Formats: sequence, C-alpha cells, structure tokens
Amino acid sequence: MKKILLLTCLFVAAVFTFKAEAATMPVDTGKAAAAPAPAPTPDPPLVFSGSVDTYYKYDFSGHANIPTSFANEQNSISIGMVDLGLKKTVGNASFVGELSFGPRGQQQSIPNADPGLVSLNGSSVTGTAYSSYHIQNLYVSYNVTPKFNLTMGYMSTFIGYEVISPAANFNYSTSYLFTNGPFQNAGFKATYSFSDKVSLMAGIFNDYWNVYQSYGRVNTFGAQLMVVPVKNWTAYINFATGPASGTEIDLTTTYQITDAFKLGLNAADFSAGNGFTGGFSGVALYPQLAVSKVVTLGIRGEYFTTKTGDYLTAGPAPGESVFGATLTANIKAGPLMVIPEFRLDSSSKSDMFTANGGALTSSASQFVLAAVYAF
Amino acid sequence: MKRTIVAIICILLAKVTCAQQDLLSFDEHDKYIYYQVTEAPGISADTLYKRAVYFLKTAYPKLKLKNSNEKNISGEGKFETYGGVSILKKESGEIIYELNVELKEQKYRYWLTAFAFTPYVKDRYGNFVPQMGINIPLEKAESKFDKKDVDNYLNQTGTFCKQFGDRLKQFMLNPPKKEEVAKKEEVTKKVVTDKW
Repeated sequence: MKKILLLTCLFVAAVFTFKAEAATMPVDTGKAAAAPAPAPTPDPPLVFSGSVDTYYKYDFSGHANIPTSFANEQNSISIGMVDLGLKKTVGNASFVGELSFGPRGQQQSIPNADPGLVSLNGSSVTGTAYSSYHIQNLYVSYNVTPKFNLTMGYMSTFIGYEVISPAANFNYSTSYLFTNGPFQNAGFKATYSFSDKVSLMAGIFNDYWNVYQSYGRVNTFGAQLMVVPVKNWTAYINFATGPASGTEIDLTTTYQITDAFKLGLNAADFSAGNGFTGGFSGVALYPQLAVSKVVTLGIRGEYFTTKTGDYLTAGPAPGESVFGATLTANIKAGPLMVIPEFRLDSSSKSDMFTANGGALTSSASQFVLAAVYAF
Repeated sequence: MKRTIVAIICILLAKVTCAQQDLLSFDEHDKYIYYQVTEAPGISADTLYKRAVYFLKTAYPKLKLKNSNEKNISGEGKFETYGGVSILKKESGEIIYELNVELKEQKYRYWLTAFAFTPYVKDRYGNFVPQMGINIPLEKAESKFDKKDVDNYLNQTGTFCKQFGDRLKQFMLNPPKKEEVAKKEEVTKKVVTDKW
C-alpha cells in the first residue's frame, strides 16, 4: 500500500512538473509579431534572511572611549542584534520588512517609538525606557516599468558607505561619518534607470532623519545619482536637504580593482539645520585585500572634522578633527564571519578621549573581536 | 517499511543531484561545457533557425543575442542560483553563460559554456544583489568558495542546461500550433448560474 502511495505521489509530481513546463512553451507562428506573449516568469519565493552578532571589546584605557556607533561596551562579551528580514515579490510589487532585536538594532540605531511619559516605579516620568517597533526596513515598492521604480516606507538611508547590519559591513566598529549621518529615512522615492550604468533617484522624506513619524512636515528632499564610470567601479553621489534635518552631500564609491582587491571611499559634508550652526565633513578610505578564500584584510582610514558652530557631533568638539585607523580581518567559516579588529583614533586636541587615570588625552585605541552569523 | 521508503528516496535524490553535475563536460580549453547534437528529421535548416530564434526570444527574453545568421546563433544569458533549504532558500548568486546554436539540414547542435559565478550580497534595503566585480569562472570557483557551494552551483548549472536543452528540443521538433493554443484557451469551463 505504501509503495502504491509513493508511486502515486511521484507520478502526480511528474505530471505537475510536465504541465508547468508545457505551459511555458511559446508557440510557433513563424512571425514574432503575431506570437502570444511568453509565459511570465514565476514569482520568487518568500525570502527569509537575517543575521546575529556578538562581540568582545577592550579599550586600552580601561574604559569606553571611542564614541562611534556600536561595539561600545567595555570589557564585555556583548550582543549586537538579531536581524530578521522578509521579502516577497509578486509581479511588479515587492515588500521588505526587517526587524531587529538587541542594542545594535534597537536604541542604538532606530527611534524610540514612544518617547513620551512612561511609568517607572509607580510614577510617570519622562520616557527614557525604550519602546521600539524594532523596524529597520519597512517599505513597499512597485516597478512601474523595468526601468522605473516607486518605493514608500521606512528605509535604510541612501547616504553613506557603512550600514547598520554588521553582515553588510567589513569593519565591525563604525566610522564617524556613519555615526553622524542618517541611519534611516522615511519617505517616498522614485528611481529611474537610464541604463545599467546610470540611474537617478529622487524622493521626499520626513522632516527629520531616523524617525518613524515626522514632526509635522515631509520636507526633506533627497536624491542619488548612480554612475558606473568603468566596469566594476560604482559611484553614488547623494544629496539630502531639509530645513530641520540639514544638508548633506555625500560620495560613496567602490572599485573592485581585481578579484582580490577592492577600494572604497566615502566623503561627505554636512551643514546643520533647524537653527543650528556648524556641521561636519570627512573622508574615509577602505582598501581591502582577500589574501585567501577565507581571509580578507582591510584598513579603514578616516579623517573627520567638525565645523565651528553650536551643532554637536558624536566626535570631536566644534572646530576640531579626529583621524581613525582601523585594521580589520574578516575570517569566513561558512555563514559565520569572525572579525578581529584593532583601532587607533587620534584627535587634534586633547579633549576628546580620556586616559587610564581619567586625564584628557588625544588618542584612544581598542581591540574588538566580533562574530557575525548571516543566513 | 518506512525506512526502506526513506532510503529509496534518499538514494534517488542523491542520484539526481550527482547526475546534474555530471551533465557538464570539459571542452578542449578546459572549460565547462554542456554540448548536445539533436537530429531533426524532415526539418529544414531555415525552419530550425526561425524556430530557434523565436524560442530564444520568447522563452528566454533576457538572453542577449549577439550574433544571429541563418547558420548559427550566439548570445549571453544568466540565471540565478539558490542556496539554503526550505524557508531559508534564497538567491545565492547568478551564473552568466555563453550560448551557441548551429543549424544544419535536419539537425542542430548547441552548447552552453563560459559559466561564471557572481555571488549575491544583501544590500542596505534587504535585497540580494550581485557583488560588484566578482565574476569567477566555475572552473576556478573552488579557489574562491567552499567545495560544497561549488558543487551546488555546478548542480544547478547542469539542471539549468538540461532544462534549456529539453525545452529547446521540444519546441524545435514539436512546436505547439497556434490553433492548439487557441483551443486550449477556449476550453475554460463556464457555469450557468440561472438554471439549477
């Protein structure tokens, strides 16, 4: 009986396979113009992906010093985040939903969904406790034509080289340019691909960066020009401006010079908005060399300077600068990436970091060992 | 009994998996190739050419035809590879290939070769996109990727080539007539709801 069932199952599967294949066959008319349209390509399946990351960090001053995002808990085996993403495309319509749980994916990178009053020990206080929607990406998009796409929702920013997800960064610690730039922009954008080598995005976004909800206005304009000057070299020229969020011009470019050697560059200039004066500018270079099929070595060299004014950055005081050099290895073991990293930052004045005894100093160094599993 | 059934299924699956990779051979330049010669009794070279061009343009619209005359057709295409199983199955990369079809009276031959793999990476928006500048010939893939992954790419390449060849053969030898397609469309069942 079981044999019969098994054979029946196999037969049914074979019949369905044959039917599906036959349905996609075009007909022979001899004239392409009179032919029926080819059968549409089946929609891809629901894609489920994500990552988890954990790290150990030791700052040689004995306390946390470097103020860039993530990897900031001193002498601790700490957690980054669990990142879970879903994507589905049906015809020309797609959605992406990406949730994150953990310090890197909550209070360190996404907004507090309810920053108002919270109850603490039986009394109402101004909210510092974290209430998160856990959303990194939540958007829908539609391909009006194969070259023209419309997207709306809460999205990772189009600005900058580095991103929140540790699986998509080479270095585990992050740059000053990343830390001080936008993480997400909620808005509506249109992208037109003129060719494989040129595309243009323009969109309107909420008044502030990194907010699920605007503070009453949707008045940040954003644009991105993508060009491929030569094969394997891609450059993005990004621009975002709004009365509240300020104005940032950014160049993000990557050139895969050989199979083993890649060079990335990020340069940006930001002028504060919302009545603040000042801002920042900086440049970061990312050479990376694959020395074997499991090990890639890379350096991030970054120069970051702040403008004079009253706008404060996560970095040097207004009118000062910092140079950061980060040596990172990516050691691959299947889906697991082990990332040992040594970083040395040096500021223009002795007021940014503190030494072992607490005295102000102009340099800081740290070691990080991280593990990122992506699926 | 259950064990026997499971064992048979495992053996069958293993055999199918191996078989797909075995479909590829090496050519004189030590490149992977899928090569077939097919007899087409009673069909002229001219008809075969028209059918082949029509088939490629309709069944594989993203294939870029580079050269096409009445004796041969060449082009470049790509297909996606998948990794993971069950709900974790997702695009792992894409493989580009070169296609050549040559036509003669009552037979044709074709081959797919120059397979090169580009891995996908997840971008900031949660999409899997080609990793720029990485384009590894399948013959050298083991120097860059795990053997298990390379075997998977080769299996999927073999599967793609076989499916391509089977579809091409079916169309070249027995193309569905326009009337047959029209008939099939007409047989949609209709239900009259006012009489019951």
